[in-house]
Amino acid sequence: MSFIKKFVEESTLSRRKFLLNSAMGFGGVAAAAALGPMGVAVASTKPTLAWGYRTPDNPYWNSIVSGGESFARSVGQDLTHLIHGGNNEKILADVKALLSKTGGNLALAVDANDSPNARSIVEACADKGGFVSTIWNKTDDLHPWDYGDNYVCHISWSDYQPAQDTARLLLEAIGGKGGIVGIGGIASNVPAIERKAGLMKVLEEYPDVELLDWQAADWSTSKANTVMSTMLTRFGDEIKGVFSSNDSMTLGIIEALRAEGLAGEIPIVSYDGTADVVKLVMAGEVLCTVSTNPYWAGGIALSLAYHAAVGSFKPSDEPHAHREFLGPAIMITQQDAQAWYDNQIAQTPEYDWKDYWKYSSGQMTYDKV
Amino acid sequence: MSKVLSKEFLQRWAPLIVLFSLCIIVSIINPNFLSVRNFARLATSSAAPLMLAIGVTFIIIMGSIDLSMEGVMAFCGASLAVVMLQFNSFVEWGFLAIPVAIVFGVAIGFVNGLIHVKLKIPSFLVSLGIGFSCIGLTMVMTGGVRVSASDKAFRLLLTERFFGFPLMVYVAFAALLLAYFIQKKTALGRNLYAIGGGEELAHASGVKVERVRIIAFALAGAFYALGAMFAVAQIGSVASNLGTGFMFVSITSVVVGGTALMGGIGGVWQTLVGVLIVAVISNGMVLVGLPTYIQEGVLGVLVILAVALATNRKAIQLVK
Repeated sequence: MSFIKKFVEESTLSRRKFLLNSAMGFGGVAAAAALGPMGVAVASTKPTLAWGYRTPDNPYWNSIVSGGESFARSVGQDLTHLIHGGNNEKILADVKALLSKTGGNLALAVDANDSPNARSIVEACADKGGFVSTIWNKTDDLHPWDYGDNYVCHISWSDYQPAQDTARLLLEAIGGKGGIVGIGGIASNVPAIERKAGLMKVLEEYPDVELLDWQAADWSTSKANTVMSTMLTRFGDEIKGVFSSNDSMTLGIIEALRAEGLAGEIPIVSYDGTADVVKLVMAGEVLCTVSTNPYWAGGIALSLAYHAAVGSFKPSDEPHAHREFLGPAIMITQQDAQAWYDNQIAQTPEYDWKDYWKYSSGQMTYDKV
Repeated sequence: MSKVLSKEFLQRWAPLIVLFSLCIIVSIINPNFLSVRNFARLATSSAAPLMLAIGVTFIIIMGSIDLSMEGVMAFCGASLAVVMLQFNSFVEWGFLAIPVAIVFGVAIGFVNGLIHVKLKIPSFLVSLGIGFSCIGLTMVMTGGVRVSASDKAFRLLLTERFFGFPLMVYVAFAALLLAYFIQKKTALGRNLYAIGGGEELAHASGVKVERVRIIAFALAGAFYALGAMFAVAQIGSVASNLGTGFMFVSITSVVVGGTALMGGIGGVWQTLVGVLIVAVISNGMVLVGLPTYIQEGVLGVLVILAVALATNRKAIQLVK
């Protein structure tokens, strides 16, 4: 039967060779036609820029990719969007296709969607000589320094400490005693777990504060609205403060309070630093929110991959703290909300995309909450 | 005889019995359930899902299904907010946003029905595709950001109360009566049942099946737009994920209320009972102190139970 196996192998190889040759042939002709006599030389030096992310249909990812676009403009290039919509196979297939198309001349920033998927993407890039930065999802045993220069960096965030800061602000605002309620994100999401853990940690310091109830509203504005109004039925005046795990839900919570004439009466703390909630902080209806500056992170992740690709810096010469680092977490309170709004939201923020680690919160650690 | 009567009785009244039982159980555990304020909150949170569920009831009575409601809701909600922002004030010209949103809902439903009928594509597939397209369009329209709909006059739907209930609850009730009128008193309503009961027979009896189907999808679109309006009034802003989660709730409500997925059986009052059952479960979970994520599990079990109760197995020879 071995001749059958041999035949299948040969035909597969020859088909692959044919496809590759024809792709290169057509691609080369098209590139030469489009770019003119100088085009091929230019194309071989400047890497293609791409951002792989979940969906533009979400303020957070929108902000991430806006940062990526801002960086791409700063080097006079277009940005290729690889939208995976939460699909592991799609992002891997898209990255492989782009690597083939560019012959590995690629600077990629990507959220792998799922931790184990990061390895496949990084290895695909390393094999073809592309340069990749990842954010959020990767397994604990996958490190940029194990792949020389091709796996440039990984950026993540820890919400545990910032959530403690917001919780403390809330508990101080209610005078350190009374009942509060908490509304969380999808129970299995890491940010949801860390933010709740931050609150629980601080509650240990305030024995007179009672967590009346904690409910998950899955990051949904509508669901948070319904949950908050039902909590008002259950606890009424006992609720002295609300710990909201993100801004989308805060918008629903505040409207549930507004319907009862309670907006601004009950302190709320929030997370994510979106424009809508920063405005509510300015209006005195929300105590604080935390910005993780996704715009900067989206730009800097791509900038690092690009500069590694063009050789402006050599990732393997950098310390581990520059290869795996935590993004910023900035608490926006009623004192500084106006200034934050003016600088970060009312105008497009300006960043020096070569100041790679300016807003880093230090090296990533692997302590479990 | 008594056995037949009791089975029929159970099939007819089971949803209402479930609703009352749930109310009794929750109110024993937490008497706050019976307060007027809680009923007002229940009614407010039911207004948007009720409109979507009524819309899809018409489609399910025909024996078809419509999965576009999340997309249509997002698109109509975003159109409403954008048009309202264009005119600055709701009381001057901003109120035009409401008819504009309803026209969009009707138009999308019309296209949905037209493709389904003329290209002979199953309704679930067309509507699913249309729903996704609408979410994409909403993305383009909003640029992925949240659009505010905080006009005070528009928000009167939520903030103005009569006898403790927000204005939107009365508007939703009026829409329910209108839906009942369409179902009971118009040729369209009767034709929907005829098609659901047996399409070939309806066709042979002179019912213009294709036309009725298209009109039904357009009508459902109008109710989705109303649902969008209530959802926007409730949360004061729109993002392209406005409709997320509403498809499960609305179809669950229709089925739990006793409208058969086979078509030909059920109606808008059953849907109201179904919506209230779902609302009491989610309200009750929080009042009783159970985690909300159990809720979807409970609803899933209820759907299977409701369908099992409502299905006459002797009449069905083949289960696909």
